[in-house]
Amino acid sequence: MNLPAAREIYQKIAANISHVMHGQSAATRKLLAALASGGHVLLEDFPGTGKTTLAKVLARSIDARFKRVQFTPDLLPSDILGVSIFNQREQEFQFHEGPVFTNILLADEINRASPRTQSALLEAMGEAQVSVDGERRNLAELFFVVATQNPVEFRGTYPLPEAQMDRFAMQFTLGYVQPAEEMAVLTAQADHHPLDELKPCVTLAEVMALKHAAQTIRINEELKRYIVELTGATRTTTGVQLGASPRASLALMKAAQALALFDGLEFVTPEQIQELAVPVIAHRLVMEAQARFSGLTARGVVESVVKKIKVPA
Amino acid sequence: MKPPPLLLGATLLFWGWQSGFLLVGAVLGAVLESARVFRARWEFSDEDFGRVWTFCALLLLASALYAFTANEGPSSFSNFFSDANPRTTTQASSATARTAGSIMRWLPMIFFPFLAAQTFSTREAIPLTIISMIARRRWRRATPAERAAPQAQRNFHIGYPYFAGTLFASSFHPAENTSFFWGLAGLLTWMLWAHRTRRVALGFWVGLVALVLGLGFAGQRGIARLAGYVQEQSPRWLDSFLRRNVDPSHSKTAIGQLGDLKLSGQIVIRLHPKPGSPPPAYLREASYRQFKSPVWFAGNSKDDFETVAEDPPNSGSWSLLPGTSNTTGVTIACYLDGFSTNGSPQGMLPLPTGSGRLENLPAYVLRKSGAGTVVAEGPGLVVFDAFFGPGRTLDSPPATNAATSEDLIVPDSDKAALEGVIAELQISGKPPAEILPAVAGFFASKFTYGTWQRRGRGAGTGSSAITRFLLETRKGHCEYFATATVLLLRQLKIPARYAVGYSVHEPSGDGYVVRLSDAHAWCLVWSEAQQTWIDFDTTPASWVAEEAKNRSPWRWLSDAWSRLTFEFSKFKWGQSKLRQYLLWIMVPGLALLLYQILFRRGRRRQAGKKAEAAIIVHWPGMDSEFYQLEMQLAGHGVPRRPSEPWNEWLERVAEIPALAGLQDPLRALLRLHYRYRFDPPGLSDADRERLKHETQVCLESLNRAKP
Repeated sequence: MNLPAAREIYQKIAANISHVMHGQSAATRKLLAALASGGHVLLEDFPGTGKTTLAKVLARSIDARFKRVQFTPDLLPSDILGVSIFNQREQEFQFHEGPVFTNILLADEINRASPRTQSALLEAMGEAQVSVDGERRNLAELFFVVATQNPVEFRGTYPLPEAQMDRFAMQFTLGYVQPAEEMAVLTAQADHHPLDELKPCVTLAEVMALKHAAQTIRINEELKRYIVELTGATRTTTGVQLGASPRASLALMKAAQALALFDGLEFVTPEQIQELAVPVIAHRLVMEAQARFSGLTARGVVESVVKKIKVPA
Repeated sequence: MKPPPLLLGATLLFWGWQSGFLLVGAVLGAVLESARVFRARWEFSDEDFGRVWTFCALLLLASALYAFTANEGPSSFSNFFSDANPRTTTQASSATARTAGSIMRWLPMIFFPFLAAQTFSTREAIPLTIISMIARRRWRRATPAERAAPQAQRNFHIGYPYFAGTLFASSFHPAENTSFFWGLAGLLTWMLWAHRTRRVALGFWVGLVALVLGLGFAGQRGIARLAGYVQEQSPRWLDSFLRRNVDPSHSKTAIGQLGDLKLSGQIVIRLHPKPGSPPPAYLREASYRQFKSPVWFAGNSKDDFETVAEDPPNSGSWSLLPGTSNTTGVTIACYLDGFSTNGSPQGMLPLPTGSGRLENLPAYVLRKSGAGTVVAEGPGLVVFDAFFGPGRTLDSPPATNAATSEDLIVPDSDKAALEGVIAELQISGKPPAEILPAVAGFFASKFTYGTWQRRGRGAGTGSSAITRFLLETRKGHCEYFATATVLLLRQLKIPARYAVGYSVHEPSGDGYVVRLSDAHAWCLVWSEAQQTWIDFDTTPASWVAEEAKNRSPWRWLSDAWSRLTFEFSKFKWGQSKLRQYLLWIMVPGLALLLYQILFRRGRRRQAGKKAEAAIIVHWPGMDSEFYQLEMQLAGHGVPRRPSEPWNEWLERVAEIPALAGLQDPLRALLRLHYRYRFDPPGLSDADRERLKHETQVCLESLNRAKP
């Protein structure tokens, strides 16, 4: 598939989402960049900002399977992965697939589940396969997880371990929209939810084509070096206990490729890298307690690193 | 860790109060604490902090230089180097001491810029590598893996080190009251309060702090008071009583006191005989003439002090008995533990009998009296050479008129007892040559040495202590023996004086040490034949052994401590070579610091240039003409920040009305430029030409747009 056609797919999905999500074009762009680069997304925001809706809208826009799991403390790994049940009639165990066997999975409030359940999902995210009863089962070719978590609640939550935060290609927030856009949301939902009449605009095959097209976007050595400099700088910054991993560099490069595709370019430019630096790198940093209390945030660290390092031009 | 709010401001104010820079302290404190009102903060990089640190170091150097010149350092040192004698040595060392004192007091001012930089910066902590050469070297040697470790680079906040330094600076020239102690206690409590653990109850914490402060106060004041109280309460504990009661005008003896006398084993004098010279048996400090029990008074020799001239001036050589040429010499180190009216240390020098000349004595003023007393005013510790020999002494000869001679006065209360002894010995009217052995034999055979005085039968009957000693107890310490002997000889019309000083008998290394417990009293007898005063000691020789019995098993410890304080005093009072070379020790350190400042930065800059050059050569498309446009537009007031990508910059360019029309051609050019720079295949020849050409067009229209 040629690049303009791929870009058209992106534009179709983005337009479809914007019917429901008002004023979230930047978030949509990032979400689709993650989708096209094969990464998973963690949405962290306050309740009611549209995290779940965004995931649902994306799922509706693509003619693909969509499952949603509401994470609770008593959720078990088998509730996600599936379970083998003994069939009396057939005298054998039959595997009942869990919600993870889908194309788009919405893991709502992922930090409310126990670490055991979280890691079951994260293995699936990392390896694109699950092991149940010693048997390996591959997941669908397109497997995209959108997890949400709520930053205000702490009681009864299990914060994701640093290693698992690293599995998410991006973490970003939606934030409150402008008053005018919020009014548009009210108007749109006055009699019915626009989500109900949303129709899929692209097929699964088209999304796969978009993914492949993103991989063909070129990136030169200088920009690779710039990416490595950005992630490397976070490792030596004061107040950061654990810097970004090479996995972060990889995710940043892939997402930048997707973004370049969306921008109609055949190659990556520094703009895409800078745009994605915060959502790709920030959530992977572990800050020192002292720095955290003094108001230094991971986001601030990445922003200052971007400001400090000379951009290739 | 960061100090709690207002603590540093209060500490600066306290420092200002204590060191006499109240206004400066108040201003610095106000500037520092204004950070709580002003929310503006600067973004300082590590490099900036390095620069501020260098500035502070330079300020320290400059202050050191200023303090040195302001305290007459250069002149005193040039004098010292051109003519090293005790006086210039002392001047040079006191200039050094004053310089050091000034710098210490200025420390809070000198390092204030660094503290202010950190307070007003956005940074919470700065890497240790900025100020520590060791940390810097370790960092430079670290492998990339080590550097990536979370704790590889240690960070610090200057707050507490500055707090400690300011308190230290406040301790110089403290007020003569307890304000420093309580101020220090208050500030430290404040600091501890801010960091106290919440695990313990508040009451317990307060109690604990109060206890520690109480102990600290006791350590400072209470112990001294307790010692005074104990001494007042019990005469038996009269530690070092002799030192307190000897001066050129009188010597209060312990005669008549009851109970045990103990002298401390503290080392007060060290002496080294010159090669081939025997050590002196006695070191005399003074002699006395009138006895009014229990005090010996100097009588009219109290006022006959005359100043000894230093000959030649500033040579450290003082001639006590002009005309003598003694070759027996000894090096004496002793403390001057009193103070003259102008505040400089002053004391009596313990000298061997017949000392004629003193060499290398760094005294400011030296005076001698007819009682054989030599009073020196100088540094607190003096080390000098005394040359002595038999024959003449400093003492004035006895008055020729026997009726008025002070050297023949006997208290009426003791005359009866003395006559009794004379009758017992049957020595009345015999020549001195026979009397002296008889008296010595009398005391040696019939008396015993003891520091313990019990209440005898005669006590309370009104008879004097000497009478009781002679007739009844026949036991006592050296002061009894010396006093009784003097009075006995005077009763026999032989002029005699009471001498105090030290007995030298304890070898240590290749010299001798003299302890406070070696303090001794003996008798000076006038020899008509030799026309001189001779030492006459009737105290039984067993006294040394008796005193040794009192030795504490822990004396080695106090001796070691004494050695340490002696060496320190030598350094403090400029009596050791170390002090003289202090400047030379400092010079390499200062040179190293200067080298660091001058060349370290330069080297780094060069290294940076090389790395940059490598990058420039490596990347493709760096010859793009688009950069000319950038330079041109920077001239229009829109320079591009190093971290700003082109698109963002172009948006800023478009905001300038005069350049708004250029936006579309610029965007098209930027696409070409980006392809040239970042697309691995690069541009085709035609596109490369297009980039060149369109940039030229753009540049021209820019030039036209220029007013």
